[in-house]
Amino acid sequence: MKSKLINFRPLWTGVLVATVLVVTGVVVRPFEEPAWVFVRSKQPALKLDSLQGALGQGVTVGLLGGFRAIVADLFWIKTNSVWEDNNLPATQTFIKLVTAVDPRPLYFWQNGARMIAYDMPNWRITAGGGYDAMPKAQQRLIDEEQSAIALKYLNEAFGYHPNSALLYVEIANVYLNRLKDNESAAEAYRMASMQPNAPFYAARIYPELLRKMGRNAEAYAWLKQLYPTLPKQIDHAKGVTEFEVQSAMAPVVLSRIRELEQELNIPESKAFTP
Amino acid sequence: MSITHRSVPFSLGRLGIVAGNTFLEAVRQKLFNFLLLLAVALVASAQLFREFNFGSSELKFISDFGFGAMVFFGSTLTIAATAQLFFSEIENRTALTILAKPIWRTEFIFGKFLGVFAVVGVFCALTTGLLLALLYHRENVLMAANAEAFEQGRIIHYGDLVLMGVLQWMKFGVLAAITLLIASFSNTNLYTVVMGFFVLVICHLQYLARDAYGSVASLPLRLLVRLLGYVFPNFQVFNLADQIGIGAGIDPAIFLRVAGYALIYIAVIGGLAVYSFRNREI
Amino acid sequence: MTNPNPAPAIEITGLTKDFSLNLRGIKLRAVDNLTLSIPDGQVFGLLGPNGSGKSTTIKIILGLLEPTVGECKVFGTPSGRVDSRLNVGYLPEAPYFYRYLSGRELVRFYGRICGVSSKILPDRVREVIDWVGLSAAAHRRVGTYSKGMLQRIGLAQALVHDPQLIILDEPTAGVDPVGSAEISELILKLKKQGKTVLITSHLLAQIEDICDRVAILDHGKLILEGDVNELVGQRDRQSLIVDSLPPTELEELRGWLAARGHVLNAVEQPRTRLDQLFLSKVSRPKKGGDIT
Repeated sequence: MKSKLINFRPLWTGVLVATVLVVTGVVVRPFEEPAWVFVRSKQPALKLDSLQGALGQGVTVGLLGGFRAIVADLFWIKTNSVWEDNNLPATQTFIKLVTAVDPRPLYFWQNGARMIAYDMPNWRITAGGGYDAMPKAQQRLIDEEQSAIALKYLNEAFGYHPNSALLYVEIANVYLNRLKDNESAAEAYRMASMQPNAPFYAARIYPELLRKMGRNAEAYAWLKQLYPTLPKQIDHAKGVTEFEVQSAMAPVVLSRIRELEQELNIPESKAFTP
Repeated sequence: MSITHRSVPFSLGRLGIVAGNTFLEAVRQKLFNFLLLLAVALVASAQLFREFNFGSSELKFISDFGFGAMVFFGSTLTIAATAQLFFSEIENRTALTILAKPIWRTEFIFGKFLGVFAVVGVFCALTTGLLLALLYHRENVLMAANAEAFEQGRIIHYGDLVLMGVLQWMKFGVLAAITLLIASFSNTNLYTVVMGFFVLVICHLQYLARDAYGSVASLPLRLLVRLLGYVFPNFQVFNLADQIGIGAGIDPAIFLRVAGYALIYIAVIGGLAVYSFRNREI
Repeated sequence: MTNPNPAPAIEITGLTKDFSLNLRGIKLRAVDNLTLSIPDGQVFGLLGPNGSGKSTTIKIILGLLEPTVGECKVFGTPSGRVDSRLNVGYLPEAPYFYRYLSGRELVRFYGRICGVSSKILPDRVREVIDWVGLSAAAHRRVGTYSKGMLQRIGLAQALVHDPQLIILDEPTAGVDPVGSAEISELILKLKKQGKTVLITSHLLAQIEDICDRVAILDHGKLILEGDVNELVGQRDRQSLIVDSLPPTELEELRGWLAARGHVLNAVEQPRTRLDQLFLSKVSRPKKGGDIT
């Protein structure tokens, strides 16, 4: 038997192919490893446990095979279709599924949170008889419940986007628009303004909210600190674009400072000098 | 009567002739026709995303679906075209005629490979080109409509997308070499195609075996897992489109590393295909 | 470099070829200790029933298969070497070429593979296509060719690099008598040019007409080899063909022969061979046309 096996060429071809592949695998591993580490670093861990109930085997293989973005896109399209039907449980499930599959796009978190915080209270109130029929206190309760879910969801997003100004802005908007909680909104805007690549408006809305709450002195101090940091003219050498200058709105900030100086009765001698 | 006595060294020219003929066969067999279908599907899906009003994220959707289609159709094309263009030679016995000429089997196999690689290259170039054109058009429209979302300038790194297209092509090159290796010893086209897809899936999941290595308790199983991790190339390393998306830049060093990884595998697996094919009784 | 060739066109010594069938080591012996020498310039017929080892022997000569034992040389070069095929043209049995190429493209492709220089290639392609009578159909895709045309374009690709040895595996299989006769004519032309032709065929009459020597294989073994005339001719007998004789004159002739110690063995009416009758009645196609 043994000697016959020795003469069976396909067997030895197979053994040789496997051996060469293993040796190649071992030899190229150090060459491939840095690239793989880089790719891995861009890929948050897949929490399959939380997904397993919702996914078929085909989708699971797709996810493991490296097609998370497209699977998440497909689920997002599905989210949109159940959202159009005002189907609350399904929308909520799919929103969470999308970010569980691919938490990298901020877009999913932002828009998921908006659906939870702004659309779902509307659906619940409509289902409960409408804005006129439902007592205001109950409407407020629904707003609070949905906002709490949205805020929890957005806070979860920080796990994947730790320095995202836009997430703080989203949180601030929920506090401001849904819960009418100026203080929490102001704090969220302040946090947003301190993140890298923060939009300029976050640093302007924060002192506006302080003014609304009567904390003019704090607003004045903030704006005085802010003004010198704003780009005032286009400087290509420093990478300052027209868009940045326009959205920084330095003249508007300066006029707010002047308004506050009047409101706070600050003498001209102590007025802010740009 | 006189006869010729000279040595016949390995010739890139002959390899090119086989490659050119293989490419021509693909073209004349209208293998590229389905590209038209793909183009229509891509443009139609881009149109669909506009309906959803995704804003600037529409571009991410177009890119994801574009590369998704490229990976899916490209893999299918690579496996099917390699198997078909190889077995058409065997089944029609043209291999018999050509190998009866003064040609090395290495030239024949690598010629076949290069022909398929060129076919897949055209596929990748056209798909990437179409995708870029689509993205550029939509980005311009969206920029005009919503300047705020583009305050940092253009969202899409077009150069990176081209690199991603190139990396997909390289991956398809490795896949073509694998399919050719399978074809070199297999008896039927169908077996080759099925095995090709099977190996494709394994190569995409190869990293799982690597990850599992540390957590497997039993030694023999552990060795098997380690072996599996080494036998198959890691295809996910090419999948930067999914990992990186449209925004962040690709490090050129990483790109070169991944491309080099592909070239090494193409050479090694191609060499094995030649070895296996040399032993094949035609 | 070209030089006069002292070595035989094909020299096979002690050739055995086994095919492994499975892991248990079961083998099929296709060729069994074959020794054969084919001198340059001959038309040589390799005969045998299906499965007798003819095709395997040809594949070994072409380097498509490796011998298990023994050796095979083509003009002195071992057949496993690529350069042994420089001087060989091959027409496989029932050839099926790249359907998507035109006849001209096909011959050109093989010419380039064989290293025919690009300077002379266009002329050479035209020449061989003309030679096999396919000039009018050279622009057509091979996929549209009939069986007979495929054989002829196959012959053209086998000849494009002007090889000294031409191997034809069942060149007339599935071709009608007209096409078959044309191929015979082409083979005889090759013989006149001093080429060596190795041919396998089931049509023994055809082989008999064109071959100088034949070998017969059975179950992989050589059972007979020799000069066709020597093998088939009956030297102790002669046939005389005369006008039809009345019975009385025939009796006189018989008596005349008996007086000289000879016997009149048979009196028969000579017949035309059916294929010759067929060819004389059927019109030959124009060049480049369909000959099926």
